[in-house]
Amino acid sequence: MTNELIPQIAKVVAVRKETPDVKTFTVRGEKGLPFSYMPGQCAMVSLPSVGEAMFSITSSPTQADMEFSIKRVGLLTEALHKLTPGQTVAVRGPYGNGFPVEMLKGKDLLFIGGGIGLAPLRSLINYCLDNRADYGKVDIIYGARSPQDLVFTDELFERWPKIEGVQVQTTVDVGDETWTGPVGVVTKLLEELNPDPQGRIAITCGPPIMIKFVLRTLAKLGYTDDQIITTLEKRMKCGIGKCGRCNIGGKYICVDGPVFTLAQLRELPDEL
Amino acid sequence: MKAIAKTALPDLFAALQGRVYVPVRDGKGFSFGLWEGQPWPDDYQNAIVPPKHILFPQTEDLYTFRMEGEDMAIDPVAVPEETSFIFGLRPCDCRAIELLDLVFREGPFVDAAYNKRRENTFLMVLGCKEGVPTCFCTSFGLEPAFAPGADWNMWDLGEVLVVEPGTDKGKELLDSLGLFREATDEEKSQVEKLREEAKGTITLHAPTEGITELLQANFDHPLWDEISRKCLECGACTYLCPTCHCYDMQSSSVLGQGRRFRCWDSCMYCNYTLMAGGHNPRPSKRERVRNRFLHKLQYFPENQGEFGCVGCGRCLINCPVCMDITRFMAQAKEVMAK
Repeated sequence: MTNELIPQIAKVVAVRKETPDVKTFTVRGEKGLPFSYMPGQCAMVSLPSVGEAMFSITSSPTQADMEFSIKRVGLLTEALHKLTPGQTVAVRGPYGNGFPVEMLKGKDLLFIGGGIGLAPLRSLINYCLDNRADYGKVDIIYGARSPQDLVFTDELFERWPKIEGVQVQTTVDVGDETWTGPVGVVTKLLEELNPDPQGRIAITCGPPIMIKFVLRTLAKLGYTDDQIITTLEKRMKCGIGKCGRCNIGGKYICVDGPVFTLAQLRELPDEL
Repeated sequence: MKAIAKTALPDLFAALQGRVYVPVRDGKGFSFGLWEGQPWPDDYQNAIVPPKHILFPQTEDLYTFRMEGEDMAIDPVAVPEETSFIFGLRPCDCRAIELLDLVFREGPFVDAAYNKRRENTFLMVLGCKEGVPTCFCTSFGLEPAFAPGADWNMWDLGEVLVVEPGTDKGKELLDSLGLFREATDEEKSQVEKLREEAKGTITLHAPTEGITELLQANFDHPLWDEISRKCLECGACTYLCPTCHCYDMQSSSVLGQGRRFRCWDSCMYCNYTLMAGGHNPRPSKRERVRNRFLHKLQYFPENQGEFGCVGCGRCLINCPVCMDITRFMAQAKEVMAK
């Protein structure tokens, strides 16, 4: 039996700077993709002498390479940010349930992301856009603190808006002299856009405070708890539901999550 | 049912092919350690530290690593192929191992290291003649002098030890050892008597009926503030608990060479759930004490269909501020709304 806690070695083949504190790393195993995965699933990425942590896989399984978009917030991410192409990391996975791609088929999709919260959503967005016929209209609302904190700008401003049936709206909390788009929180854009809940599923990820207000706004716009999906994060060590710490109530976020509908979350105790 | 003279136990231990763990004197009490020729300790009641560490070591290397320029090498540390015999564990600790089995061997992932050790381990349970005042195993449906999951159940009748195999693997082992004779009818009836009398010696009671549903409905009850106030967050309860299975994973390295290991962790510690950005979903004692009790009494039943407590009493005995799960359960029944 293989030991799930032992990672494999992967090479960093590209590093892209998204914002002053977010980088996207492309990693490749010995035989290409380190392992197959579905949108919304996660992986443990480590530098063994520094540490290991769970990250959402930012790429879509429809792409050739695996990508992680990582914000610099602690010891491990600080060390990861120093990596250059050619260096190695260790990875293991995939972990977690992922987004319900089958259930979403035929539905219109509303993505609401904030900051680095767009990273897990991007996996699903690109998956749906690469399987365009299976999914309805795609609306993407994204917000960040400032123009320089926007991630995936190529896709936000160039690639996604050109695809038929896709609308992208981007806002920042505080603009600058170059910014000509909307200024304000994502909930403001969401209310203005007022997407009809009929046949639509909202998928949101971002800072807890944003999620709190997004949920409130979606309820006001008529979305039921079953029509709202989010993805969570917790401190994790094993990734396989054994080491304890990532539970909310009796659910382990690493295996039972990280993706939940709001209806499922309401069944759990308030320990986010 | 077979029998062996207690004076012949060293012969039995010598005949067992593998690592033989027995209660070894440890300060004022006992802990499980390797048998090294010593006679059987007649004053053994239960181990201070449960034998969980034999299957789930407190610290265990997972792999070694070394950085070589831009490359990295990872070498898994194999779990040794060796048979272990845990001789003389009590029914509560045997039951606890069955509960650990549900965590480590069931579900979408199996813990490879635990699983391998468990496959190669014999659980040889010694029934309790009498409990101590902190025992409450019967509250969780256990029988103090019998363990349904044991490879062997054993009873100390003074001069002789009577053995009954409980699994195929236990029966094969017993049949392969020539040191035993058939138990007499007199001995068999003594075992029955011992089993029956032992039940009456467990006097501490934990009210389990309906407790899971009650706790599910009272996540935010003020009782959590009250009972957690005195906790020192030392973690002794979790380290001594035979069913606690939380672990951390850490590295130790010098100049890019080192090892990655896992070690026991405790949900009572403040950095257990602390995230890199500074957010902590269980920021105070209230949430951490609540998590420990709910894990045993609500989450374990929800996930594994069984209570996560076996009533061994170690957390009561060793808590420096006398936190008592049985008292908590009684209080919850009294003050929490149905």
